Amino acid sequence: MDRDLLRQCLVFHGESLFNKLKCEQTENPDFQAVAPDLCKVTSESRGEEQENPLVEQFIARKADILFCPSWKTTTPQEEEHEEQEEEATEPYAIMPPLELFMEVSYEERRSTLYRDLEKGDIVVGRINNIRDYGFFLTLLCMAGGLKRDIEDLELSALCHIREIPSTGNHDDPLSYYQIGDFIRAGVKDIDRYQEKVTVSLQQASLLPSLGHVKLGVITREELPVHYSRSLRAASDSSETYEFILRRCHGYHNPSVVEYLLDKVRISDTHPPSMMRGLQSKLFQAEDFATAIRKKQSASWALKCVRAGVDLFKHGRHVESMNEYNKALEIDTNNVEALVARGALYANKGGIMKAITDFEKALENCPDHRNARKYLCQTLVERGKQLEEQEKLVTAEGLYRRALSLDDSNPEAQQALHKITDAIQKSIRLQEEALAKEQVKDKSGKTSAEKLRKILKEEKRMKKKRKRSSSSLSASSASSRNSSASSSSSSSRRRSKKKKKKHRRSERGSKRHRRISSRGSRGSEEGKSERNGGKDEDEVEWFPAPPNTSATFLNKKGGPGFGEGDEEEEEVEEKLGEERRISQLYSLSAASDNEESDSSRRETKRRESKESRTGRRKSRSPERKDRRSRSSEKRDKHREKEKEDKGRNSDSKRRSSLDESRKRKVSCSSVDSEYSRKSSFSGSASKLLENRSKRNSIDGSRYDNRGREDVSEVEEVKREKGGAEGGLGKSGGNQKEQRGVSGESSKKALPSNLLDIFSQIAKFQKDKGVGPKK
Amino acid sequence: MEAPSSRPSATPDAPGWPAGRRPLSGGESECDPARDTKTHFRVCRFIMETGVKLGMRSVPVATACVLYHRFFKRVSMRAYEPYLVAMSCLYLAGKVEEQHVRTRDIINVSHRYFNSGSAPLDCDKEFWDLRDSVVQCELLILRQLNFQVSFEHPHKYLLHYLLSVKSLVNRHAWSRTPITETSWALLRDCYHGDMCIRHTPQHIAIATLYLALNSYGVELPVGEKEWWQVLCEDATKANIDAVISDLLQLYDMDAKCI
Repeated sequence: MDRDLLRQCLVFHGESLFNKLKCEQTENPDFQAVAPDLCKVTSESRGEEQENPLVEQFIARKADILFCPSWKTTTPQEEEHEEQEEEATEPYAIMPPLELFMEVSYEERRSTLYRDLEKGDIVVGRINNIRDYGFFLTLLCMAGGLKRDIEDLELSALCHIREIPSTGNHDDPLSYYQIGDFIRAGVKDIDRYQEKVTVSLQQASLLPSLGHVKLGVITREELPVHYSRSLRAASDSSETYEFILRRCHGYHNPSVVEYLLDKVRISDTHPPSMMRGLQSKLFQAEDFATAIRKKQSASWALKCVRAGVDLFKHGRHVESMNEYNKALEIDTNNVEALVARGALYANKGGIMKAITDFEKALENCPDHRNARKYLCQTLVERGKQLEEQEKLVTAEGLYRRALSLDDSNPEAQQALHKITDAIQKSIRLQEEALAKEQVKDKSGKTSAEKLRKILKEEKRMKKKRKRSSSSLSASSASSRNSSASSSSSSSRRRSKKKKKKHRRSERGSKRHRRISSRGSRGSEEGKSERNGGKDEDEVEWFPAPPNTSATFLNKKGGPGFGEGDEEEEEVEEKLGEERRISQLYSLSAASDNEESDSSRRETKRRESKESRTGRRKSRSPERKDRRSRSSEKRDKHREKEKEDKGRNSDSKRRSSLDESRKRKVSCSSVDSEYSRKSSFSGSASKLLENRSKRNSIDGSRYDNRGREDVSEVEEVKREKGGAEGGLGKSGGNQKEQRGVSGESSKKALPSNLLDIFSQIAKFQKDKGVGPKK
Repeated sequence: MEAPSSRPSATPDAPGWPAGRRPLSGGESECDPARDTKTHFRVCRFIMETGVKLGMRSVPVATACVLYHRFFKRVSMRAYEPYLVAMSCLYLAGKVEEQHVRTRDIINVSHRYFNSGSAPLDCDKEFWDLRDSVVQCELLILRQLNFQVSFEHPHKYLLHYLLSVKSLVNRHAWSRTPITETSWALLRDCYHGDMCIRHTPQHIAIATLYLALNSYGVELPVGEKEWWQVLCEDATKANIDAVISDLLQLYDMDAKCI
């Protein structure tokens, strides 16, 4: 209990209140503690008041509230702050001092003013006398701090010359002031006995909270609003307090109550009350509307999530997505809904969306087990996507993040391990290639050139044969295009990171390219095994390569993979969406490539679904991308050729168009064969509409596998052949896959369109992706 | 009259739901004024409490109370379920005072008020029935009050008076004394009874300020006129005393009937 307040109250009310207090507050230990002190206070009280006993009763009963220190919520400091602003906008009615209307006696007002005036208050006065040592002001009104009616109190204040800020010139600062000027000044000192006030024009004389008020000469318009209002009220007796109040437009401010509550520092959200039943301590946080709503929203949302999960289990994914979205509408950050929706997105291939959802869920509930688990898996998935897109470093980052979420995730560990290897390898190879280039510039090339020439010749002959015999619609243009892209797909493998790689063609890459072409051919054959008649033609056109390794490859590659496919297909068939199937290959390729057996079957299936949908959505841009990459590759080749002092005389594009041209760089001719095949297989598959789709997919899958194997073989060879070292195996594989998928997706497009695409893509590539490498 | 906490949560199911609008019994022969006052007090307590839990400001809560009292000035207590009317008053007051409250929150908070510690309502028929009741009752109130639903409240008078009176007092004395809090609490509390519609806003504002000053023994300078005479022309000591005695009765009721 606040003893001072209680004493003040007792002095006012007298002994009767004290008796009532003793009666009412017997159980209040606080009062018992202060009661002895207050005994003597009451004796000196006036007690002459004929107070209402009911009021005293009330005070006595509520004394524990009224005099409780915590009852007082307002803080005394910095109360007057924005007076100037308030004057301009008048958010509440600025009233003249009440004294003016109460007609308080001159003496009382004067004495209370001297009592209450304090250093740092702001006064406004008019200069009535200028002396050598300063000037005298007749005080007109208060402008900050107290608000009193002082105009007729004949108060005089001295502003000493020391208190006038010098203007920097050497002339007398007083010369700037004239009698009659309105001056705003801060109170510097009050001599309460001799009733003398000194003021200052130095900014430092003000309280810090009033520091922004400018002191010095002011115009009549700058006089405080309450002063001008009190002048009017004084001159016109009809201007009562009530009348002025109603006329002020601040009074009509619709939010005047909120503004003033803030000004007097009363909380309107936890309002004070003297009712016992409304004491703020009785309000429990969980009874507040926001708390209940939150709880309710969570439970409503959870209901929706449950419904969504049920729908999901019945395969009705769209409806379940709707339920999840509804849940999130009800409760924006519902963790369960976010996790469920994320999982659904992941299932549907929206990996980025899934990641966002999982992350949001983890933000709200960092320990959510499923969210962590799913996010980890999805990150790995995304990492693989990125790996396919050659963004190895980003992918690595994702794997690391996945591991940070779940450091025991075998998939992530494996992927990370692989990718770090790949990165290191590629760096090493880059360095090696650089070093090699320097060496090779000097060494002779003649034998290699000769060999290459011979091979070229051979190939051209083959091509001619093919072309003439081809009755199908594979136009030279389209073949040119596809050859370009396919060449890139294979050349990329070699050179993405090490530009100088194909130099190596003298020894290894020639072989390797052969192998790869064989490999693809082999895969073609693998297809033919399944597709029967359709591929017979192809086989005819592309006789089995003499290279043994390739034949070995397709034997090995074909059937083993097909079994795996069957399962995937079953899954698809369940879903019954033929269209998606065409995308499946990329997934299975990816997962087969990357995935270790350790990963669960379920994840696999999910992934497959993911990439299926993902593919479908992003198909065309990807295609473009691929093509762009290929064209870029081509460019690089061209550059390389130039560097090689015209040894490689022309770009493959032209060379593939114009057969008579010599092509020394090997990359395209072999590949163009291969790609032609695939484009052809595409058109063939078009003919056999119904089955063909799946078949072609399978075919490309075979392709994949074949190529993978090729690259494996290649690696073996590389090892044998010494340190020519191709690109890291995984990277190479991916490129192959891309190339394959690119071709198969390309099959339906007209050739000129492809051309345009490739040009656009090339342009974008040069601009965007180029610098990355 | 049973205690509010034991009331059924499904207020619209209570007899007297406005759907079966009964003829207004003007005489209300069976009515017991003392009991009605107590009920009104409890319902107003409910409004206050719910208002705080809904985060409503003082003025909308005051409007809700005035709506409630005015409504039951016109109709019999027994014709309509007071708690439902109170809920609708809160809803309507939120609209009138531009602090819109959602019916869902009103229902939630009320549900928890009547069934303390209970889980929030499900999004089912019961909930929507309650919601419909609140909205229907809101229309009823509007019609009963002839769509005159905006009132002048003492709040802004009190705040302006506080500022004026403050500059009459030594600033240290003022900052030591919780007059602002006390007068604001008194003002809010006066809405527990129909005194808030029996007295003019200015008188209520002056009376609460007077009682607050009096409670702490703060003396203002005396001139030709008392400060309250200046603030409101027609305020008399008798007016102020009347308001204060009404207010003190409410505090008695606080001790008696809750």
